Amino acid sequence: MKLMENTLKQTPWYFTPVVILFTGCLVAIVNFGVRSTFGQFTLPISEAHGWPRETYSLAIALQNLLWGIGTPIAGALADRYGSARVLMLGAVLYAFGIVVMNYAGTPFIFHIGGGIIVGMGIAMSSFGIVMAALGRIVPPEKRSWAFGLATASGSLGQFIFSPLVGALIAAYDWHTSLLVLAASTLLIIPFAAPLLVQNSNTTKAGAGETNLSMSQAITKAFGHGSYKLLVAGFFVCGFQLAFITVHLPPYLAEHGLTKEFAGIAMALIGLFNVVGSYTSGIVGGRGEKRIPLSAIYLLRAVAIAGFVLLPITQTTTLVFTAAMGFLWLSTVPLTMGLITVMFGTRYMATLYGFVFLSHQIGSFLGVWLGGKLYDIYGSYDIVWWMSVALGVFAAIVNLPIVEKRAASFAAA
Amino acid sequence: VNFPGHKFALAAFSSIIITWLFAMALIMRAGALQAGASGTMLTVFNPNTPQDKIFAAIVNAGAKPIRETSFGFIWVVSGDEPGLSGRLRNEGAIGNYRNLPLSPTIAGCFAFADAKAAEAFQ
Repeated sequence: MKLMENTLKQTPWYFTPVVILFTGCLVAIVNFGVRSTFGQFTLPISEAHGWPRETYSLAIALQNLLWGIGTPIAGALADRYGSARVLMLGAVLYAFGIVVMNYAGTPFIFHIGGGIIVGMGIAMSSFGIVMAALGRIVPPEKRSWAFGLATASGSLGQFIFSPLVGALIAAYDWHTSLLVLAASTLLIIPFAAPLLVQNSNTTKAGAGETNLSMSQAITKAFGHGSYKLLVAGFFVCGFQLAFITVHLPPYLAEHGLTKEFAGIAMALIGLFNVVGSYTSGIVGGRGEKRIPLSAIYLLRAVAIAGFVLLPITQTTTLVFTAAMGFLWLSTVPLTMGLITVMFGTRYMATLYGFVFLSHQIGSFLGVWLGGKLYDIYGSYDIVWWMSVALGVFAAIVNLPIVEKRAASFAAA
Repeated sequence: VNFPGHKFALAAFSSIIITWLFAMALIMRAGALQAGASGTMLTVFNPNTPQDKIFAAIVNAGAKPIRETSFGFIWVVSGDEPGLSGRLRNEGAIGNYRNLPLSPTIAGCFAFADAKAAEAFQ
């Protein structure tokens, strides 16, 4: 006991819980915040190069794809070598990719930089990697809260970076703004440094963790019914969020609401998202996680159905976006929490990575089907109702999840 | 080891938002237009200025009103002749800013805050 007290007294200030949590939040803010601003560069970059918008859109689509594919890879690296090192490498890739975007003279180079390199950088410096680190550092009773805090930080990043970069582009130009963003992503390196405290160079299992190898862990997880249900539910999360992000503004315009009002409605999502994510972390720490997770999907379905059935007015839109904002990323702390309960912390980044890949496939389909079905039917109604049905589906599939350690992941 | 809780979260988020507001203030100041500027811009009047006076001021300055923001006293205007920003100031605008690629209402919030701060420090 005396030895432990002495050890704690000797802990450098940058490895104290307050610093670790705060800098973890900063990593999530920068990672999510910078990514959320790329839409603001569509016009200036396309106009400067004389490219059709498709060129820029393809880079962002590639970026999202690589973010999805890269997350389990980044997770595996983080589980093996520690989150801090992966976050730092991700920051370098993120910054380098943005610099390539800035100086690219051809669409091909632009797609490599803004699509592939930035996408991998985002995956490697994402808040999923931060959450994995926090999951290992904080005690189990605080884990869900820490996941909520990290997710809320990511949401806050989206909220604060958007006007910041808009003002930067207006005050200077897109070149300077991109370079400022590249420099911002490099801040992830010092912010990730305190997380070095949980880095590992060993393949040995920690106390209370499984001694399966990584490939065995992935195989066993995919053979576990509850994990498959979680993966299926998170697909719906991606579908709904991406569809609303991309297609809500034109849907509102169709119903006579201004572009300016759509901007306010989308900002409201960001604001309530911070509150919802944090609250979800608290709720997840108090008891079963599958029930609130199921409730979130059901409430989303109710909110979407109500929005489509009621007349589209400023009031109904604000109520809808506030409700959806509250439910937006609130699935994340609960999903991460369930992974930790079922499989422990040893491979949590990898296993969350695969769940997140399912989210990104859902995102892709939400955006693509939204446009495709609109072109065919001249209306978004069918996709709104698909979102409702998928919400009910996710609410149902999350209910049977068995919220206990999987037998094959029993402690070594 | 004592792990922090809600007070920590509140303090962390508050400090981040304060830092953000400071950064926004710096960037908005850099984005404030000099007297010789022209083009599309956000022009900010005092909140108690009547609409007809704002409209007259915009027209008298040789600007074309593009759209009104939700605030009423912040407009998006346009004009090619050099010195538009200065003429708008002479007609009563308290500040002019490059058109931000954001919702004009959100952009207007920051523009108004900056214009009032600049006015207070003059």
